[in-house]
Amino acid sequence: MKRLAYSSMIIALILCTTVLLSAQEKKEKSTLRINLAYHQQNEDLPILRVSAQTKPGKKFEAVEGVAINLFFNEETAQGFMGRATTNNAGVGSLSLPAKFKNNWDSLLNFKFIATVTGNEDFNDEMVEIEIVKARIDLALEEEDSVRVIRAKVLSFEDGSWVGVPETEIKLFVRRLLSDLSAGEEEFYTTDEAGEASSEFSLAIPGDAYGNIIIGAKIEDHDLFGSKAATKIIKWGIPLEPDNSFDRRTLWATRDKTPIWLLIFPNLMIAGVWGTIFYLIYLVIRIIKLGKAEKSV
Amino acid sequence: MSRQPSISADKITMDLLPQKFGKAGVIWTSILIVLCLVGLFAYYRQLTQGLVVTAMRDYASWGIYISNFVFFVAISLVGSLITAIFRLANVGWRTPLTRISEIIAVSTILFASIIIIVDMGRPERFTHLFLYSRLQSPIMWDVIVITTYLTLSILFLYFPLLRDLPALIKNSKSGSGLQKLYSFLGSFWKGTAAQFHISEKATTIISVMIIPIALAIHTVTSWLFATTYRPGWDSTNFGAYFVSGAFLVGAGGVLIAMYVFRRAYKLEAYITEKHFDNMGKIVVMLALLYLYFNVNEYLVPAFKMKKAEEHHLLGLFTGDFSILFWTTILLGMILPIVILLFPQGRRPMPAFVMGILVVVGAWFKRFLIVTPTMLSPFLPMYDVPESYMHYWPTWEEWSITIGSLAGALLIITIFARLFPIVPIHETIAETEIRKPEAV
Repeated sequence: MKRLAYSSMIIALILCTTVLLSAQEKKEKSTLRINLAYHQQNEDLPILRVSAQTKPGKKFEAVEGVAINLFFNEETAQGFMGRATTNNAGVGSLSLPAKFKNNWDSLLNFKFIATVTGNEDFNDEMVEIEIVKARIDLALEEEDSVRVIRAKVLSFEDGSWVGVPETEIKLFVRRLLSDLSAGEEEFYTTDEAGEASSEFSLAIPGDAYGNIIIGAKIEDHDLFGSKAATKIIKWGIPLEPDNSFDRRTLWATRDKTPIWLLIFPNLMIAGVWGTIFYLIYLVIRIIKLGKAEKSV
Repeated sequence: MSRQPSISADKITMDLLPQKFGKAGVIWTSILIVLCLVGLFAYYRQLTQGLVVTAMRDYASWGIYISNFVFFVAISLVGSLITAIFRLANVGWRTPLTRISEIIAVSTILFASIIIIVDMGRPERFTHLFLYSRLQSPIMWDVIVITTYLTLSILFLYFPLLRDLPALIKNSKSGSGLQKLYSFLGSFWKGTAAQFHISEKATTIISVMIIPIALAIHTVTSWLFATTYRPGWDSTNFGAYFVSGAFLVGAGGVLIAMYVFRRAYKLEAYITEKHFDNMGKIVVMLALLYLYFNVNEYLVPAFKMKKAEEHHLLGLFTGDFSILFWTTILLGMILPIVILLFPQGRRPMPAFVMGILVVVGAWFKRFLIVTPTMLSPFLPMYDVPESYMHYWPTWEEWSITIGSLAGALLIITIFARLFPIVPIHETIAETEIRKPEAV
């Protein structure tokens, strides 16, 4: 009987393990949506930005911790750029490694591939983008006190750089938290020569010398990705350094207490405590009078 | 007054001399000591583990310690009201109430100083308040004014007490510790004309000086709040609002103390129904004044309902704090006004109950001034644990707070055990003056 119970327990244990293992095997993986974007500022090496999202319910949600493989031109070991892991906003980025610079310089069109493989929770995914090399020439001019921003979008065709017409471009001033439109319009469209321009009439603070960063950028373009060109120029209002910390203010350290705040409260404190000491003196007088009375 | 002018000086002395605790007194004192010990244990835990034992976090960084501090400061103003203002206004019936109000003032202002140290995360740095003080900080003003008020209140308690000390020395057991204490405090008082003259002069000086100091102490406490830009505190009205509330809670406290001492020490001949009647009327006046300031503090912002203040105001009117808010307004102000308006309501027992409502209501009112504002920051609370968005004190905070309240009551109790709670000499002097009238 004892043996039978023992055998039954082992069989039950095996059955449970089998069921659990099969349940694990059957666990369905979710579909991941990955997005790949190309960013380049001035002539720096480009940055690839990836994002990962999934749709567990009715809307997409960012997925954290997904390792996304990035390749340059071909999905091979030679083309492997590196791996970007998404943050809590579901976004990751990777700069083009220096070893690809020569290759990237020599090419006019190139491809980037992003893949997710072997993820425990998501199916394998792949996305690729093709980029045509482009350039933005930025000129900041001042004639007769009129400041003008000129930007020209160029692409390399038939052995030379030619203007790209009908392209939306943003002329901006870089501020601390975001870019501010430098002209009256938020976007400008390039003319036949690939050029867009705007007067600059903003009076905004710059650094101590009046330097501000002015730029032109195209965003999420089908062929060129996102590109920006920036220049530093003294078109801002020089910032007067705030030296109030060294002055006598209400927010300064105690050795810089305002004079009026030293005089009036201290006068009051001296007046009140002077009276208190006088009252204590009166107690002493009462004591002395009492002792004198005793001795009499 | 309704007191019989024919009572002899000896009878008055014997009636008013401090008495040994009866059974109820021993139980009462024991309870207070136990509450203090529990509070001390809780504070030991806070000292060893840090402020993490409290429910105070990033947003509600001021909790019931600060509400309790404001309450203590508020109730301490009663000393200046009864003793100084009534003295200068020559209010004849004040005599039996002066010492009660002064000891309330001393004990509560002492515990206001203690509870503020309890609120400090690093109490061993208390001396830094003086060593590294900045006169620009309202906290420093509070430190200065509390120290000043405490010193003046002790002197205000001491000068009139001097005249009673000979009777205490004479009637205490020869060579006993008590007699030594009385002798140390006042064996030099011979009652000479010169001593009386100096004593009178000192008392008048203090009476004049303590009024602006008392107003300053609570005004400065209100500025701790009003000088910060926060919903509910950003008010130019705060000084007057706090001072009027302080006088109300102080008067309520005196009503309670009058009733308790009258019953415990059988002082019916000295603290008469007329005293309750008069104090009841004063409470009505002060409650109406405080209600007026409350209307200003809440109705005007509610009329504008600025977006940034909406969360705070709605939290009080209809939100998490609404039950407490309306209960405090109704039971702590409106009901005492209604009851005490009627002569029957100003009899000792109902007046005592109304006093309790006023004082308890005042404690919660200070909680409502501090906490809801802390939980209504201008920038929304975001990306913080759920517990940061609410505040309910931990048992350590409750124990320390209750322990401090018990401590203040213990000082009053011990004082009443050692010294006459109704001034003997002044009572006799008043009786002597009244005698010819009776004849």
